[in-house]
Amino acid sequence: MQNTKSLSSYPALLAGLTLLLALLFWWSLFSWSAMNISARDALDAVFNHEAGNIAQTIVRELRLPRALVAIVVGCAMAAAGAVMQGLTLNPLASPSVLGINAGAALGMALVTTLGLWQGAFSTSVAAVIGAALAWLIVMSLGSWKAGGQSSRLVLAGIAVSALCMALTKALVILHENQAVAVLSWLAGGFVEARWPLFGKLWPVAVPALLFTLAFAPTLNLLSLGDENASHLGVVIWAVRLLGSALVLVLVGWTISLVGAIGFVGLIVPHVARKLTGYDYRRNMPVAMLMGACLVLLADIVSRAIAFPTEVPAGAILALFGTPVFIYLVRSRI
Amino acid sequence: MRATLGLPVLLLLVALLIVASFMLGAVPIPLAEILKIGQADFAHSFTLYQYRLPRAVLAVLVGGMMALAGALVQGVIRNPLASPDVLGISNGAGLLAVCFITLFPQSSAGAIPLVALLGSAMAALLLWLLVGRYPSETRLALTGVALAAFFAACIDFVMLLNPQEINTALLWLTGSLWGRNWVQVQLLLPWLLLVPVALLLVKPLNLLALDEQNARSMGVNVPLVRFAALALAVCLSGAGVAVCGPVGFLGLIAPHVTRRLLGSRHQLLLPGSFLVGAILLLFADLVGRVIDPPIEIPAGIVTAILGAPYFLWLLFRIK
Amino acid sequence: MLSTENLSIGYHGQVIVKDVSFTVPHGKITALLGPNGCGKSTLLKALSRTIKPVSGHVYWQQKDVQNIAHKEYARLLAMLPQVQPIPEGLTTFDLIAYGRSPHNGFWGRLSQKDRAVIDQVMAASGVTELADKRVSELSGGQRQRVWLAMTLAQETPYILLDEPTTYMDLNHQVELLGNLRRLNHEGKTIVTVLHDINQAARYCDYLLVMHNGELVAQGTPAEVINQKLLKEVFAVNAQIFPDPVANTPMCVVDD
Repeated sequence: MQNTKSLSSYPALLAGLTLLLALLFWWSLFSWSAMNISARDALDAVFNHEAGNIAQTIVRELRLPRALVAIVVGCAMAAAGAVMQGLTLNPLASPSVLGINAGAALGMALVTTLGLWQGAFSTSVAAVIGAALAWLIVMSLGSWKAGGQSSRLVLAGIAVSALCMALTKALVILHENQAVAVLSWLAGGFVEARWPLFGKLWPVAVPALLFTLAFAPTLNLLSLGDENASHLGVVIWAVRLLGSALVLVLVGWTISLVGAIGFVGLIVPHVARKLTGYDYRRNMPVAMLMGACLVLLADIVSRAIAFPTEVPAGAILALFGTPVFIYLVRSRI
Repeated sequence: MRATLGLPVLLLLVALLIVASFMLGAVPIPLAEILKIGQADFAHSFTLYQYRLPRAVLAVLVGGMMALAGALVQGVIRNPLASPDVLGISNGAGLLAVCFITLFPQSSAGAIPLVALLGSAMAALLLWLLVGRYPSETRLALTGVALAAFFAACIDFVMLLNPQEINTALLWLTGSLWGRNWVQVQLLLPWLLLVPVALLLVKPLNLLALDEQNARSMGVNVPLVRFAALALAVCLSGAGVAVCGPVGFLGLIAPHVTRRLLGSRHQLLLPGSFLVGAILLLFADLVGRVIDPPIEIPAGIVTAILGAPYFLWLLFRIK
Repeated sequence: MLSTENLSIGYHGQVIVKDVSFTVPHGKITALLGPNGCGKSTLLKALSRTIKPVSGHVYWQQKDVQNIAHKEYARLLAMLPQVQPIPEGLTTFDLIAYGRSPHNGFWGRLSQKDRAVIDQVMAASGVTELADKRVSELSGGQRQRVWLAMTLAQETPYILLDEPTTYMDLNHQVELLGNLRRLNHEGKTIVTVLHDINQAARYCDYLLVMHNGELVAQGTPAEVINQKLLKEVFAVNAQIFPDPVANTPMCVVDD
């Protein structure tokens, strides 16, 4: 039985991914630094910190929070993509394609450039609201059902995305008066990721991720179609509301802190499904781990590719993500 | 009756917008001053002749050419969602041009249109390879926007890798008319010859719009017309992109607006689209200039803000 | 015990089922009959709580079903819609196992009993050997049986079926109707929409006949089926004979 066969390999897959993540984590602590940091320093900084050692201090104050942020963001984007694909039954659904990323960026741009409202979490809340508005528009034009409607949904998402992006650019140009600022502001990256940022990220993202895991069995039932799911006791509107809220919080919150990290949410759920099948209880944890690995790797590449300058990790992910998008359009629509 | 009035009315609008674009900007020039053009006591000749006039001319030419390209594409593949900008052809031109600018910063500006043309041709070819001969409406549009997203990601990447060139490239890329002058107008002039060539296609395009079989039986060489129209569209939009950068959604909405105003006979649709495109770009440029001077919002951003909702509406309508 | 009281159902301001009151006979097989568009599928959807009534009530043991928790209702009543989506990537086993979700914990972990139920319904529906096949690879008839197995895995005392025989070959239709009788003997109450009057008369204990959104007749086949009804509801002239095998009423359409 396929069930039992993949059961034996599943723990191995989880263990392998965890190991890979740990190795990437370690590597990201010491690689491509302007100041020489040894692999040993990285380990010591974590487990056996020696005060006054500059290399270890860099690891502790810069690299460690940065790597942790990348991991949490990777998990969040992958989970958000998986939930969106489960809710809409659309293989192309993901935060970047359906305009959520752009909506969140617009919400943030409105608050920061117009100075509408100031507070500790004002940009994050604005990003969540912007994402929610984009989602509302896209879903009112598209549909929750699978099938012939799925390309409409995606086109609606892309148009909403273009609109939000144009408005964001206009706002930032009016505010910053220079074009360069737009680009670096829009491309997500981890240059600014220090401990305070991590402190803002995890208290929201980690509980939301746990909720998402708990949401997996419901996503399974949704794949049977609305009618069958409701006959099995699923309250469809409540599930959609809850799932959307999860996605919007995950995406809005991370984008407000690190910028748009696109295409992780599109690619990773597909790979996770290929490896573990269509049961969300099994593929969701794998997707989260893989998302973390991918974003961490993108962060390492972002430092390596034009060393000693940095290229935003979001730009790298978009570069590798869009061909996959084209591939998915070709094979799935 | 309405249709015969349409073209003159559009021409009048173009003229009005040109005058408005002479008047408005960082230094407003009152209308009374503008009317003194050519007289000895005209105080603003430098501003007008060196900045605003070439800019207005460029807006008319580029807007018109991009819109014409859109009308040709929609005429041939009969897909309301198609246009060079939606299908990623503009972005393909943009990508190759950006690569060229960053790799050979010293090269002459005259080469950029050719490079952009090559880029748009490559993008068109790639799209054709990806979708095959008879794709459904949404599938073609979806593949196009996916390609456009890919080219855009590549452009971002190239620019972020070369921060020292970023300003030159960005200046050009956001679909802006800022800092353009007579040099760009000269670059564009040879491509203008393609506009009358496009008008030669009006009859076969009309027949093709009915039905391919019908057109064939009326003696239209369908593959030839199709190829000619698409090649013209690629050249026109490539040349426009080379000068102003990709102007989002212009090629998509201008033909739709024209069709509502003048009907779908290509005799009126093609020249009408040219004028509507000119009006849209003049208007977008004007809005971008007056919203908060001296800061300018690139015209491409303004057209995207206008065009994206229109695209959504089209999508909503075709069900 | 499932019943309705002055039940009216509609969409977008248009009333499709008008003021219907009846009680589903407990422990029987009931057929819902009527011409296309008479509201029988809509009525079934209201019984299964897929749509909310415009007015009136659906009662389970004198309790309005709108006040029953969704999961609890899913343990009382299962429904098989007429058209099924083809879920991507799921195996037959997975799909049938999802039928256990009203019974097991939030993570959907299968207990020993769940597995026993799944094995039993797979055997009863004849899909045991399809367990590892993907649902998307099955034929239409196989898929129908798999979905029926999922509905059975819900282990509910009441089962609603919306035209379960539509896409089946005749032999599978007979097999399915036989299966329903066996389930009925095991104590289940079944309500099914059927297209074929003779099939309904032969395999069902009780008939509900609908016409233009109204319930026009109910009772045993012998009580309900007569020339007048066939003429009024189905617009056919027909003769009624006893079925030579089962002795149930059988109608033969005149020229």
